[in-house]
Amino acid sequence: MKRISVDIGGTFSDCFFVWDDIYVESKALTTHHNLALGFNEALDLACDRAGVSRQQALKEVDSVRYATTLGTNALIEGVGPRVGVLVTHGFEDTIHLSRGRGYGEGLDPLKQGDMADAQRPEPLVPRHLVRSVKERIDSIGTVLVPLMYEDVRQQVRELVDNGAEAIVVALTNATENADHEERILEIILEEYPAHELGAIPVLLSSQVSGRKGEYIRAMSTVVDAFLHQTMFHALNQLSSNLRESGYDKPMLVIHNSGGMAQPNSTDALQTIHSGPIAGVGGAQHLSETTGLGNVVSMDMGGTSFDIGLVPEGGIKHYDFQPTIGRWMVSAPMIHLNTLGAGGGSIASYDRIHGAIKIGPESAGSDPGPACYDRGGLRPTVTDADLVLGYLDPENYANGYIPLNKKRAAYAIEEAFSDELDLEAIQVAKIIKRTVDEEMAIGIEKELRTRGGLVEDYTMLAYGGNGPLHACGIASRAGISKILFPPFASVFSALGAGNMKPLHIHERSAYIVLYDALERSLYNDYDAINNYIEELEQKGAEDLVRQGYDRDSVKYRLEMDMRYGNQLVTTAVAFDINRVKGTGAVLHLIKTFSDIFGDRYGEGTQAPEAGVRVQTVRVASYIDGDVVQFESLDSSGTRRIEPVAVAERTIHFTDEEDPVNTPIYDTMSLKSHYVINGPALVTTESTTYLVEPGWRLEPTPQGAVWLLKDPTNTTDVTTKLQFQGA
Amino acid sequence: MTLTTNDTGNPQEILSAQEQQWVDKFMDETTLFLGPDPEIMRNHQIHARTAYEDECISKGISPLEMDRIRKRLAGSLDEAFEMCESMGAAPGAKWADLSVAVYTAEGDVTYLSNRGVIAFSAVLHHPIRYIMKNWKDEPTVGIHPGDGFFHNDSRYGMVHNTDQSMLVPVMRDGQIIAWVGATIHEGENGACEPGGMPSGSETPFDDGLRASPIKIVERGHLRRDLLTFLQHSTRDPKLMLADIKVKMGAVRRVIESVDRIIEEVGQESFVAALRVTVENVEVEVRRRIKELPDGTVTFNQFMDSTLKENILIKFACKITVKGDRLIVDLTGTGPEILNRAINSPLGSTKAFMTQAILSYWWPDLPRSTGALSPIEVISEEHSWADAGYDAPVGQSLQGSFRGFSALQTAYAKLQFSTPKKYSNVIAPWFNQINDFLWGGTTQHGEQVGNLCADLNGMGGGAKAFRDGEDAVAPLFCAMADIAEQEVMEEEVPFLQLVSKRLVRDNQGFGKYRGGMGYEMIVASRGTPNWGFMTVTSGSKFSSITGMFGGYGCPTYPLSIVKGINIYDIIRKDPSQFDLSIERIMNEQPYEGGSYQSAHMGLQFDVAKEGELYMISQGSGGGYGDVLERDPEMVATDLQLDRISAQVATDLYAVVWNPETFVVDVQGTKDARAEARKRRIARGTPFREFIKDFVTEEPPADLLYYGSWGQDNDEEVFATHWGGQEPQRVKGKLSEIPLVMIPDRRVLKIEAQDKRIRELEAKYGETVLHKS
Repeated sequence: MKRISVDIGGTFSDCFFVWDDIYVESKALTTHHNLALGFNEALDLACDRAGVSRQQALKEVDSVRYATTLGTNALIEGVGPRVGVLVTHGFEDTIHLSRGRGYGEGLDPLKQGDMADAQRPEPLVPRHLVRSVKERIDSIGTVLVPLMYEDVRQQVRELVDNGAEAIVVALTNATENADHEERILEIILEEYPAHELGAIPVLLSSQVSGRKGEYIRAMSTVVDAFLHQTMFHALNQLSSNLRESGYDKPMLVIHNSGGMAQPNSTDALQTIHSGPIAGVGGAQHLSETTGLGNVVSMDMGGTSFDIGLVPEGGIKHYDFQPTIGRWMVSAPMIHLNTLGAGGGSIASYDRIHGAIKIGPESAGSDPGPACYDRGGLRPTVTDADLVLGYLDPENYANGYIPLNKKRAAYAIEEAFSDELDLEAIQVAKIIKRTVDEEMAIGIEKELRTRGGLVEDYTMLAYGGNGPLHACGIASRAGISKILFPPFASVFSALGAGNMKPLHIHERSAYIVLYDALERSLYNDYDAINNYIEELEQKGAEDLVRQGYDRDSVKYRLEMDMRYGNQLVTTAVAFDINRVKGTGAVLHLIKTFSDIFGDRYGEGTQAPEAGVRVQTVRVASYIDGDVVQFESLDSSGTRRIEPVAVAERTIHFTDEEDPVNTPIYDTMSLKSHYVINGPALVTTESTTYLVEPGWRLEPTPQGAVWLLKDPTNTTDVTTKLQFQGA
Repeated sequence: MTLTTNDTGNPQEILSAQEQQWVDKFMDETTLFLGPDPEIMRNHQIHARTAYEDECISKGISPLEMDRIRKRLAGSLDEAFEMCESMGAAPGAKWADLSVAVYTAEGDVTYLSNRGVIAFSAVLHHPIRYIMKNWKDEPTVGIHPGDGFFHNDSRYGMVHNTDQSMLVPVMRDGQIIAWVGATIHEGENGACEPGGMPSGSETPFDDGLRASPIKIVERGHLRRDLLTFLQHSTRDPKLMLADIKVKMGAVRRVIESVDRIIEEVGQESFVAALRVTVENVEVEVRRRIKELPDGTVTFNQFMDSTLKENILIKFACKITVKGDRLIVDLTGTGPEILNRAINSPLGSTKAFMTQAILSYWWPDLPRSTGALSPIEVISEEHSWADAGYDAPVGQSLQGSFRGFSALQTAYAKLQFSTPKKYSNVIAPWFNQINDFLWGGTTQHGEQVGNLCADLNGMGGGAKAFRDGEDAVAPLFCAMADIAEQEVMEEEVPFLQLVSKRLVRDNQGFGKYRGGMGYEMIVASRGTPNWGFMTVTSGSKFSSITGMFGGYGCPTYPLSIVKGINIYDIIRKDPSQFDLSIERIMNEQPYEGGSYQSAHMGLQFDVAKEGELYMISQGSGGGYGDVLERDPEMVATDLQLDRISAQVATDLYAVVWNPETFVVDVQGTKDARAEARKRRIARGTPFREFIKDFVTEEPPADLLYYGSWGQDNDEEVFATHWGGQEPQRVKGKLSEIPLVMIPDRRVLKIEAQDKRIRELEAKYGETVLHKS
């Protein structure tokens, strides 16, 4: 297999390059003015390492896959066209009002709870660019008020006259009957033909989402329209660049649904968060190919902490109404929980409880932690890590950022000396312990809410601050196995390299599998199978359009189900694709019951109140080649400890006194070694903190295990002699 | 026994200790039933530290260890909250109208979920204390591991009877060391009207299910006999079943976390952490009170309706700060009305005071009842904000929400001059649930009764530096959701033909205007049996005020068009699909329609297909003088049709070009100078104003309840229907007669009979009545 996958992030463009059995990782700074430059630089570096030219690589690879935060950034920066929206009469303020809760989407709980400070973000659609048309369709698709064509023309003209550069049509109940939306598209094309100047892109809500909910569907379409231009240009730029370098196949864009597609089958909305989600995809792949079992992925960066769940058997958790930036939308996105804590999180005194709280404020990268010496005055998690001796001031971020330890200690003293009668080191220990604790609680909550038991999971850690905090977080969460995966520093790019071509289509449906009042089971099998077939057809068309063989398309049937009148549904994946009789109906009910019980506890199921299907969903995909990993052995039988290159005094949170701790370098990460904690292992890209009671076991391809020892094995380990001794 | 005489000279027995013991025993054994206990229900202070708590704390747990325990609890509560939100069958659950909390053994809230309704948890110390006092050692009940108690009666401690709770003890070695509770706004509760908040209830028995705390879960098993009774008692048995299971599941999840915490840190550390958290919050609140300037802020509110007839009833409130004491005095509040639904138990009123404190005063505080504990509340039982046992409380939110508004508004004034502010100075939040409650048979043949989520779009108060947020979260719940209409239409047989549209002039004007409310027009369709209710006040007298010169919210009548089928009309002529309350009520465009407007206390009204019901959600209060509003902001509002030209001219004194909406800067300056001159010309010295304006009593024709004036709170006015004619009475709350208002229909018949008699006398005819 030959393959290139790239994750273009805010700071770095990461590349994972597969050239038969050679796997190479590389990085370059992201070049925001022209993404192709950074892309090329990272690719060139990878090609050099693999010993092939860029041209040869691009000519021979089966695909170039691309994950990006471009859309996320455009949304944050508010860069996009003026979007005009047509809605149903009576729904003119639906978008503006954002379900009431729009003021708090994307904020932390403290800000959400501060009602006196509630403030909605700047709207993506100014209110004067929303117009209504006289039409109405009911919940089953019946036309109550027919469309008035002249009325539509009038409203469209007003939008265009007011400066709309893209038009979204989001009519109520268009998921059940898209006829009016489609008629409006025809009218707009008549008024503003595509070949004439003044033509404007038009997006229909019914084409963006098949799910009911006039606000979320309209907002999804608006976000799509807002990002369309930016994404179109950026993807074009990259495609052209690839073509110029000899790549003649379609580029593939990673989707936040966990799949990928060509640009012609990609909505801008589907690219949001695709980088981090590719990381979760990477975790899934690693789990599947190495028998890791249940995995919780943890990506701790400078400002945030992403938690993803990959139970054994594959990703099961999606958000169907995720929040993107400050906007709730309707899109099936792999569930990723982001906590607002990272190395830059500010520590402050909690007067009420006499404790220390971390965040939600962050020093970010500018000015950054106090130790960066760039004007930051308030202590952060990174300052505490430095004071505790975990970081080497001279070699942080590969030496790019020199750290000032005195400044870090001073910031801690300044912030806490009036309140706590403690030395800076003691405070730093509390900061470290607190942040680890909070992350552990986040993981625990995430798992338990979705029916997982912490002790059954392996933590997969990547991201800049993961290696320093992983032991602390895992200890507090009750996790005893941490894996830093192969190619951890480009793990999202690696994930992108293993995505499948996949499209998810869904539609709202009113299906009562068990009617509690009539005490009857569903028997309109044709109706439900027609729904499924229609969705499979859409998925297959998407894939065939991209050149895949229709016969190789596989389908996974999912439904959103509920008991009685519950309003929130549970997503259930099935092992059947057609419902052919009472047995199949009971199978659907049983599968739902099992998943519900796992998630919320046995006995919480309430089939007596009725069982309903609210959404039918089909994931259509193509299986393909994937990256194969070498063994991730952690048998616990290793006995050889490598040579330490230095020793440093380090403070551990659960140790009263400082500990002289051996320091190891990259050379120690060989797959037959074991390093017992306490230890520090510094590599070019990161620092592993092996806390007391933990041991580190490297594996091939750069993966590293951190394993909690039931008992300390130091005594029986063969220690190679410390060079400095 | 010995005999003596009392003050009035009558003989009085003096019992020996032994005799007294016999009497007590007899009384105890012959109690008719255990009603709400005043000792419990009137007390909102945190419980005194128990000997066991003292012992646990004395072991010396560190603040950092306690912080860890709290954080783990908080994570677990949020997890349980998400469970309820995800699994709940009640519409309220989906919209975050719920709460999950951990309590000390004596019932004080230590921590509650980050999201949800603070007031729900802040009131549950009452039932916990009731259970501890009455059922713990009662042989027929008792408390065992795995037991769970259900209740919904607000007289035992609940915001209102439409909410239902599940309270489960955490036990170790037979000892209760904590409680975990979950509450959801369930909606339907079998009241005289569907939806759980009957505006038409005239006795407590009309309020529907009134469960005192009962043990519905016995050692982990849901009791089917009691469950069946509860299901049988409401219109929606599916809802009852599903959500009892949901609450059980959520509470169990928290208890699992508690078990793990205890296993990790030990029982004593856990108990100490719970207790110390409550105490810490109380201490911090005292410290913050001390930062406020000493003085008294008065904030009186008036409700314009019993939800059946127009009245004016006062919610009096004086808030005094003295050092670290803060006293909320409700003396002067109007009396309870014994056959109207607006009365609120004191526990509910106080719960919303806690809501104001934790959401609007000090949102950074940990969510514990320690927040209200240091605050002294003076209130006399049998006012409408402190209702007695016999008063119906179906619409208790009318009283309790005003408890919220009193504190929210007063705090803006109290904190205005403090250098350290914990939240923004804002004008009042809208405080009515202008919303449709509904019930009947759905298009799927199910019997239901509940409400729309649209109540969650209350207008936010204007801030001191910007306009209030339009139709944002309700006062009682951050991040509540107004839901998706498409989803609702699939479930219930009515359409919102106008769904949340902001309409001009629906705002509290000011330098910064209040957040606007939205208009809603609904009509039923495809059902054999359906009806709507509305349950709020403020149709004649604004329910909230402005702040520092800003205007209050407008008044909001209910409008109805009967005798038409709008669906037929718009199908035949789509151009008629041009709906707004203003147009429909002014132009009356649909032939044959009966156009009606009324106050917002609509009792359940049968809605035929296509009849229009129209209401507006309310605005937040405005902040500051209208003449100080940036003229450009006025022009923007004009352009978006948020205000009328008349408001821009008459109130804001702005001059602009109506074609381009460009402000005439000089013209505006001149117009405002003129407006200020007119103000001065209208001005009157304060004493003269008082002389003309202030009267000894309310106008004779006004049905007025409560004290009159600022300084006469000891005496209240009321109208009494004891004799043939209504009679105004005045006196101390405890001395005035019981207030009941005659049935409107009876009064109408009486008036018609009287008129008939007059006509008979005048024309010498006799009308024969057939019975």
